[in-house]
Parts: sequence; structure tokens; C-alpha cells
Amino acid sequence: MIWHEVTIAGYLVVVAGIVLLQVLATRTRVPVPSLGDLFTRAMRSRTGRVGVLVAWAWIGLHFFAR
Amino acid sequence: MTWRVRIADSAGAAAGCAEAVVDTARPAARAVAALAGLRAPVVWVLLAIAFFTAISGKPVDGLLMLIVAAGLAWDAGRRALRHAGPGRHPDDGTLEAEGATEAEGATETEGATEAGDDAVARPSRLPGGRRRLLAVAALLACGAAYAGVVGSFSRYSWPATAGIIGLGTIVVVTGWHGPLRARPAGGRPPVAGTLAWAVVLVAGCLWELGALLQQPSLTTDSYAHPTISTLTDPLLATSPGRSALLLGWLALGWYLVDR
Repeated sequence: MIWHEVTIAGYLVVVAGIVLLQVLATRTRVPVPSLGDLFTRAMRSRTGRVGVLVAWAWIGLHFFAR
Repeated sequence: MTWRVRIADSAGAAAGCAEAVVDTARPAARAVAALAGLRAPVVWVLLAIAFFTAISGKPVDGLLMLIVAAGLAWDAGRRALRHAGPGRHPDDGTLEAEGATEAEGATETEGATEAGDDAVARPSRLPGGRRRLLAVAALLACGAAYAGVVGSFSRYSWPATAGIIGLGTIVVVTGWHGPLRARPAGGRPPVAGTLAWAVVLVAGCLWELGALLQQPSLTTDSYAHPTISTLTDPLLATSPGRSALLLGWLALGWYLVDR
């Protein structure tokens, strides 16, 4: 039972980290790129762009498709 | 004659570049250029996803990932060959096929930065105002209709699979041809901040992987160690829940396509 809560707490920590970094990037002068900047950077090349879009498509496939 | 071919990695970063010196006069050298796509890290990541997805009981997903990985590798190899081919040589006989990708603060557009990546940013077709508003309203209506219809299908059914694969294919093919609109390249992101993002995102992936590996099997859920899929099962068990999640998925897709 305790491991169930621990596992969920781990996910919440990761989500909190993402929110914290995004807030630091967009609301402060701390030198942290926003998630959007990182995506833009990663998607400058064709392989990066296709890779990110395929990752997005995979999420849909994983949750909904056979 | 010796040509120098450089293939940029997924992030277009110089650190990830794989470099091959190719003598295009020999068939073997042309074969090496054709295999340049296998040097792209994204191709190997997709192959790994294809393998693990297939052994996790989702062969269709695995096959689609395999097709995209093969397509990317073929495309990169084809471009490497084209840039290494005769008739495009500069005066000194050496071709740096890599674009001027890493110039700090350059005003280049996305899509024209990768080695041999001839994808050019398409001009914006909606120059603001009423036309843009109508287009956005139409997209929102289509998105809502899509989420409503596909969300009404049972999970893992063939109609739902067809809906996801259809839209996914359209988006990936659209992205393959380049970004929808030009964006200023901006500078190189701060290293420390980028590392912080990498730590958080990799930690999240490892946490999910840890939960997955502690299941009784790859296809059997664990209450003690739930994966994200297991946690979302109750939401996805209902039609409104599926439609809500599909709307989020669509919004994320639009955000990415617009990058």
C-alpha cells in the first residue's frame, strides 16, 4: 500500500519540477529556457521535428489504439 | 574526389554531429553515405521504442515506429547522397553539407538548419485579422468534433485506432515537410537551465520505467507500482474522459506543429 503512494508522490515531484522550471523560465530572470524554447530548439532539424511529433503520436497510440 | 558530409543530431547541436568523409567516386563510399541516416540518434531512439512497444503487446504501435525510423534513416541517407553527389562541389572540392546551424544569434529560420535539410519554413498563410479568427474557430470546432467522435469509441478498438493513426500520420507528414511558419532561431539555450530540464524529464522517464519494470509482467498492471497508463485508466474508462484527454492531446499536437 505504501508503495502506491510513494510511486504517485514520485510522479507529483516530477510534475512540480516541470512547473517550477517553467515558472522560473517565464516569470523570473533565472537563465532557464522555457519548455517551448526547448521544443523549438529541438525541432529545428528535420529528425528532431519528426522525432518530437512521433513522440506525440505515440502518446495517442499508447492510450487509445490497439 | 573527397566530400565531407555532416549529419546533425536531433537537436541540431554540433556536439551530436556524426561526421563521415566520403569518397563519392566509389560505390562503397556511396553506400556509406546512404547509411548516414543510421547515425541520427533519433532513428535509434525510435527503433528502441518500436522494439519495446512491440514486446509490450502493441505490435501496431511498434510497426508504425519502425516505419517512421526507417523513413527518417532513408531520408537522411538520400539527402547525404544528394549533397555528396557530383555537380554540387565547391571550388576546393570539399562540401560542408552542414548548414550554418550554430551561429549564435543568427536570423536563420527553422527547418533550413540541419545537414542537407532542405525543408524551408512555409510562409504564414493566415495574415491575421478575421481570416485567422475564422481559421482558429474552424480548427477548434474540428478538434472538438474529433475528440467527441473518437472519444465515443471504445479504447483499443479499431475505429479508435484508425482515428489516432490517421491524425498522427497527417501531423507527422506535415512536420516532415518543415515548420508551418518561420521563427527566429534565437540563441543557444543556457546550459545549466537546459541541464535542469534534462534532469527533471529523465527522472520522470526513469520513474515511469521503474514502475513498469516492477509490474508482475509488462502487460499486467501493478497497484503498488502504477504506471501513468494505469493511473489514467479510470479516466479513460468513460467516453467524456476519453474525449477530454483527446482534447489535451490535440492541443499539445497543435502546439508542437506550430513550433
